[in-house]
Amino acid sequence: MTLLSDTRYIFVRYLQKLIRNPILLFFSLFQPIIFLVLFTQILSKFSGLIVLPGGSYLEFATAGILLQNAFGSALQSGNSIVADIDSGYLQKMLVTPVKRPAILLGRLTSDAFRVVIQSAIILGLAYALGAFVTTGVIGILLVFFTIAFFGLAWSGISLAIGMKTRSSETVFAIGGFLTFPLLFLSTALFPLSFMPAWVQDISKFNPISYAVNAIRVLMTSGYDWGTILPAWGVIALVAVITLSATLYMFRKVVS
Amino acid sequence: MSDIITVKNLVEVYSDGTKAVDDISFSVAEGEFFGFLGPNGAGKSTTIKILTTLLRKTSGTVNIAGYDVEKKAAAIRKIIGVQSQETTVDGDLTGRENITLQGHFHQMKSDEIKKRVNELLVLVGLEGAAEKRARNYSGGMKKRLDLATALVHKPKILFLDEPTTGLDPQSRAAIWTYLEKLNKEEGITIFLTTQYLEEADKLCKRLSIIDVGKIVASGSPTELKREIGADSIRITLDNCKKDSTKAKEIIKSMTDVTEIIDSEECLTVFAKNAGLLIADIVRALDSSDIRLSSVTFSSPSLDDVFMKHTGKRIRTEELVKAPSAMFVGRRR
Repeated sequence: MTLLSDTRYIFVRYLQKLIRNPILLFFSLFQPIIFLVLFTQILSKFSGLIVLPGGSYLEFATAGILLQNAFGSALQSGNSIVADIDSGYLQKMLVTPVKRPAILLGRLTSDAFRVVIQSAIILGLAYALGAFVTTGVIGILLVFFTIAFFGLAWSGISLAIGMKTRSSETVFAIGGFLTFPLLFLSTALFPLSFMPAWVQDISKFNPISYAVNAIRVLMTSGYDWGTILPAWGVIALVAVITLSATLYMFRKVVS
Repeated sequence: MSDIITVKNLVEVYSDGTKAVDDISFSVAEGEFFGFLGPNGAGKSTTIKILTTLLRKTSGTVNIAGYDVEKKAAAIRKIIGVQSQETTVDGDLTGRENITLQGHFHQMKSDEIKKRVNELLVLVGLEGAAEKRARNYSGGMKKRLDLATALVHKPKILFLDEPTTGLDPQSRAAIWTYLEKLNKEEGITIFLTTQYLEEADKLCKRLSIIDVGKIVASGSPTELKREIGADSIRITLDNCKKDSTKAKEIIKSMTDVTEIIDSEECLTVFAKNAGLLIADIVRALDSSDIRLSSVTFSSPSLDDVFMKHTGKRIRTEELVKAPSAMFVGRRR
């Protein structure tokens, strides 16, 4: 009960901080939007060149860009913890009876909320460019759920690194270092058949591919549970690993 | 009055082997305004961190309002208010929101918080800036807001770690007024650390002087100064190394001299009627061919108390604050 309300207050604090820094919010959306427009315009002939799993390249790429955005945001999540440690705000919370898990849960839920809002904006823009989600409203909700779950799982990495190193530069560097290789070696932006064999092999094991495929089938073909459920399974596996690391580091910081 | 804080044989050794707190014992009575006076790095912040459940002690016992600091940390957090050395307000939130959020952290009811926030905004004189984001506050305003956030749940004990460090004299005086008011009118026990002699002298009814992790003297400011029992004369010699032993011999033999110690300048002489003695000292040293470069004289201050026990003076000049990544974990 207290855990729930404590989480809510911390969640609201992070949202307020986000809303009051609109420039930050704008720029974090800038890259995925540019990607969406550039990729789909420059590579629009893909649709004619090769058989894409469902729909046009626009729809194909939208799924990837949603994931890219979630991935990028998640990998910067640790910075907020570093900021709270540096400013002493974490200490300020720790001398109150506030429930300890709420500090982490408030952060994670606000991250998930943020990525859903960003995804809605990207999806809206893709719609304006001509993309559809074939599964409709429930499909969109499932897309959001998958993205939020994915974001949660991956933000664990940067939270753990943030608490371990207490340096936002390190969080930025590691985030940047992970984003592109993982993204380009997945099916996020290019179809499997388009890649050389060795990339295909990597891509098949890349956890990003699983998530993006699930979002893609929801957008272009339908409720293909054979793709969706394994994706959730892989995300859950990643979540268990990264959030355990986060919890371990968090306990060291607060206990 | 019963003791609300009892500390016995407290030791804190950091993982790198530094003994930050070296076997200190003290107690604070309920309703008392108690202070730790000491220079930077004396162990003041470390002690506060242990007392406020943020840092685990290496050994010793700490009891806050009847609760053991490690066994009953949760109970202690409900009744203490803490203002850390760094001003910690959320710049993205308004003054009102900062205090309100802190009320929620203390699981207070919303209408109760609303009422209390209004009271506190008036108390710290921020009612005019309540709806502005704290980012735009001046340093003094941020400190006052920080103080208000520590008071939202009406704590029984208020811990203040150098509450006025880095403030201009005017803001400092304002904070002093609020603190005296809180202690007198609301009966809150206050534990304060400071490196400012004037602050300790003015606010604390009782204080301990702390240096390199040890308490060197305790008592009320008046008692401590009376213990000096004399004025002090600080003497600097042209060649301290060569002449100090000889100079000491000469001065020691004079009447009214109670004590003479080696100090940073060179020598410090404690004496009654020091004003009259200066001329004698100058004459005597001069006739023995010891060249003086300066002689200063002062009535007893807490600095003299500190000097008497440590041979050093408390440096109160503003130090350039290094950007410190605050360590919040407990080190063993």
